[in-house]
Amino acid sequence: MAKAQAKTAPRTADPILQSLFDVQEATLPNGLRVRLLANPQTPVVSLYTFFQVGSRNERPGITGISHLFEHMMFNGAKKYGPKKFDQVLESNGGRSNAYTSTDMTVYYEDFAADALETVLDLESDRMRSLRINDAALTSERQVVMEERRVRVDNDITGIMDEELGTLVWKAHAYRWPVIGWMKDIENITRQDCEQYFRTYYAPNNAVLYIVGDIDPKKTLALVRKYYGDIPKGPTPAPVLNAEPEQKGERRAEVRHPAQSPALMIAYRGPSAREEDTLLLDILQYVMTKGEGSRLVKKLVYDTQLAVSVGVDWGWRVDPGIILFFLELKPDSDPRKVEEALYAELALLAAEGVTERELQKAKNNLRADHLRELATNSGRAHAMGHYEALLGSWRDGLSLPSVYAAATHEQVRAVARKYFAPERRSVVTLLPSAPEAGEEVAADGKEVA
Amino acid sequence: MATKRPKSVAVKAASATSGLMLPTFHESTTSSGLTVLAAQRGPLPLVAVRLAVRAGSAVDPQDKHGLADFTARLMRRGTARQSADEIDEAIEFVGASFAVGSNEDLLSFYVTTPAEHFPAMLSLLGELVREPSFPEREVELARERALAGFANDLDDPSVIADRAFTRALWGKHPYGHDVGGSTAHVRTFTREDLVRFHRERLGPKVALLSVVGAVEPGLVAEEAEKAFGAWKGGPDKPEQPPAAGKIASGRILLVDKPDQTQTQVRLGGPGFRMGHEDYFPSAAMNNVLGGGFTSRLVNEVRVERGLTYGINSYFDMLNVGGVFAISTFTQTERTREMLDVSLAEVAKVRESGISAAELKKAQRYLAGLYPLRTETNESVASVIGDIRVHGLGDDWVEKFRERLFAVKPKQTQEVAAKYLFAKAPLIVLLGKASAVKKQLKGLGSVTVVPASDYE
Repeated sequence: MAKAQAKTAPRTADPILQSLFDVQEATLPNGLRVRLLANPQTPVVSLYTFFQVGSRNERPGITGISHLFEHMMFNGAKKYGPKKFDQVLESNGGRSNAYTSTDMTVYYEDFAADALETVLDLESDRMRSLRINDAALTSERQVVMEERRVRVDNDITGIMDEELGTLVWKAHAYRWPVIGWMKDIENITRQDCEQYFRTYYAPNNAVLYIVGDIDPKKTLALVRKYYGDIPKGPTPAPVLNAEPEQKGERRAEVRHPAQSPALMIAYRGPSAREEDTLLLDILQYVMTKGEGSRLVKKLVYDTQLAVSVGVDWGWRVDPGIILFFLELKPDSDPRKVEEALYAELALLAAEGVTERELQKAKNNLRADHLRELATNSGRAHAMGHYEALLGSWRDGLSLPSVYAAATHEQVRAVARKYFAPERRSVVTLLPSAPEAGEEVAADGKEVA
Repeated sequence: MATKRPKSVAVKAASATSGLMLPTFHESTTSSGLTVLAAQRGPLPLVAVRLAVRAGSAVDPQDKHGLADFTARLMRRGTARQSADEIDEAIEFVGASFAVGSNEDLLSFYVTTPAEHFPAMLSLLGELVREPSFPEREVELARERALAGFANDLDDPSVIADRAFTRALWGKHPYGHDVGGSTAHVRTFTREDLVRFHRERLGPKVALLSVVGAVEPGLVAEEAEKAFGAWKGGPDKPEQPPAAGKIASGRILLVDKPDQTQTQVRLGGPGFRMGHEDYFPSAAMNNVLGGGFTSRLVNEVRVERGLTYGINSYFDMLNVGGVFAISTFTQTERTREMLDVSLAEVAKVRESGISAAELKKAQRYLAGLYPLRTETNESVASVIGDIRVHGLGDDWVEKFRERLFAVKPKQTQEVAAKYLFAKAPLIVLLGKASAVKKQLKGLGSVTVVPASDYE
């Protein structure tokens, strides 16, 4: 039986955003999508390549391969061999980096406008003919293990976040960390990487965004020249979301040397394409955006129960989590802080937000949206982000109108729906005594 | 009212060949003596404001380290007319943002706002800067939060390593303490300390206001007069810290944190002040050694040996001095290898310099990316503040690439010989001392201290 039609907010493009996005679009015969946007304000260009692959496309045994593979993409292709990618790019006044998330892998360059053709040559070379050698893989594996040590093993939020993932998800690939389990990083093979490349790094699984001091027509001709002959790949298999329904609160404790306890609390949320996602954006702003936001004011300033409180509501392809992180004082009772947070969330569910809070959130969402679009890199990334998560970059232009139309009642309904105890997972960090310093005693006075 | 009409100054469009364009700046002065620089810039309906005051941590009182930063942070927590809550609401309701940045030399107040709210936000900035009330309760709360923050910092190995490094490098010089202070000092702060610091150190004659974005320069001058025309206080001239004395060298400080599986590594020696003539050759030389992603250090340490996820070398330049330093980390067992490989790479450049091809690559890299520093309203407002405050010359941005390309190989050799640890560097390591100490034989005297010394 179909549910009653929800009232859909009017999706009209914002006039200021519309004027900023005079975008030329094309799709090459091999499936590569291209979006070009001229902005002559400064003589620089940003190129973003979005591949629709992330840790959600992995399986046990090769967790972390998307991220490890991201590193391998800088280690040599047919025309530009090992170490050449960055050398050539930097020699031409450019820099590059990349990131991997649960849902996507993103490669990007900022460079002097006259280096455009060189950058397209470099990027297309590795999409066409990446070469993975054992020596580079061995060395890169070490680098990634060191990255894991700094981000997870020696970082309290990293440790807690990993614990939380396995608590929230039983079946979905969001269960493991994007960087992967240490053992898997150690054991991923060259064959695994090569197969991954063939499956996910084909032009039909990628979108190119080029924003800056460019001539769109000439740029498109260059893209055709450098990317046109890269063969289309197979269509990647869809990821099944087999995650079962959560039946009640889940809890875990982490004991680790630390000065203070800390809390990570997650509620299961919707997927990016669901309307509720935008209402949760509003709610996130009301709760923790700014010193005067509800939770900051209540928990940090008024009751002083927490040193800081933040919410991470990150859009994902499959349903994600609304994540609260609370830093506490050394002698805090985490249970007491938890209860205070739940009381605030219950209040939101019962009474919703005030009209002024709602308007304030809308004003801030709009201002932040504009700030994000101040750079070439910001515009290119925003387009890629919306296209990857919503299906079309154009949907980004209509976000302000959707936010503007959101009502008090909708926001309250969302709070009621998502902040239910049975959707909750809690990780508590409890400080353990540090390991004894063995035989090395402090033997000197401070150097000063 | 004595608002001087703004006049335009020669900080503007560079030559067509370099293609680097900055908007034209209009300069005015409020009746209180505050210099105002304004540039109109679109297309986004946003405005960025920076108020830079020469009252950084170098002027913290002897026994009150962190007071400058603490005072600046408390300025939005209440004025003669409004409570902290009212101020937060005024800023945050309209989608503006307000931030404080502190370093050794400067306190900077940053405001970004939708253009339509610019007059109201500038007026509010004036109110916060001129008449903060420092309510007793707010001071107490902030102090408690800061102390909890210091305790929690002990769990962040890179923060503690940086803190130990700064203290050991600069010793008793005013640059030698953390900008945020330490538990022992912040614990003693009273409301009176803040009131006195604000009155004595912050004033229009040691400050500069830069405003960039979708606003007309005439309006900026008028609103600046309304907001800051009545600003009294502060010195007539900025107080310079004493010239940088001896930077520590030739010793190893090992900070013990037994739970670590990694060692944080910092190496440092003397550098030079902001605006020094060695800047351009040093920037090019350093880019080759440890600047970009293809630097020698990244190649040897990360690419060839997989010793780390990140390593970089840098010149940290302040008003009266600076340091040359390297920052990285590696797994505990390979600490010595990391030190040996890094120091060997530095020695190679010190002794043999860089190649002509490497210099050319560095110049193209730095020149190509330089325009990114002028891409946003915020970065233009920042760059113009730095130029004026540090006396870099109004043609700094315009001439940047020309000066960079004028660097000769010989100059890079000279600066390498001068700054790349001509004397043995100070080495600061943070990690599991019992496993690290035995790897350090032959490197010099080692002092072991517990991490808790750096709370």
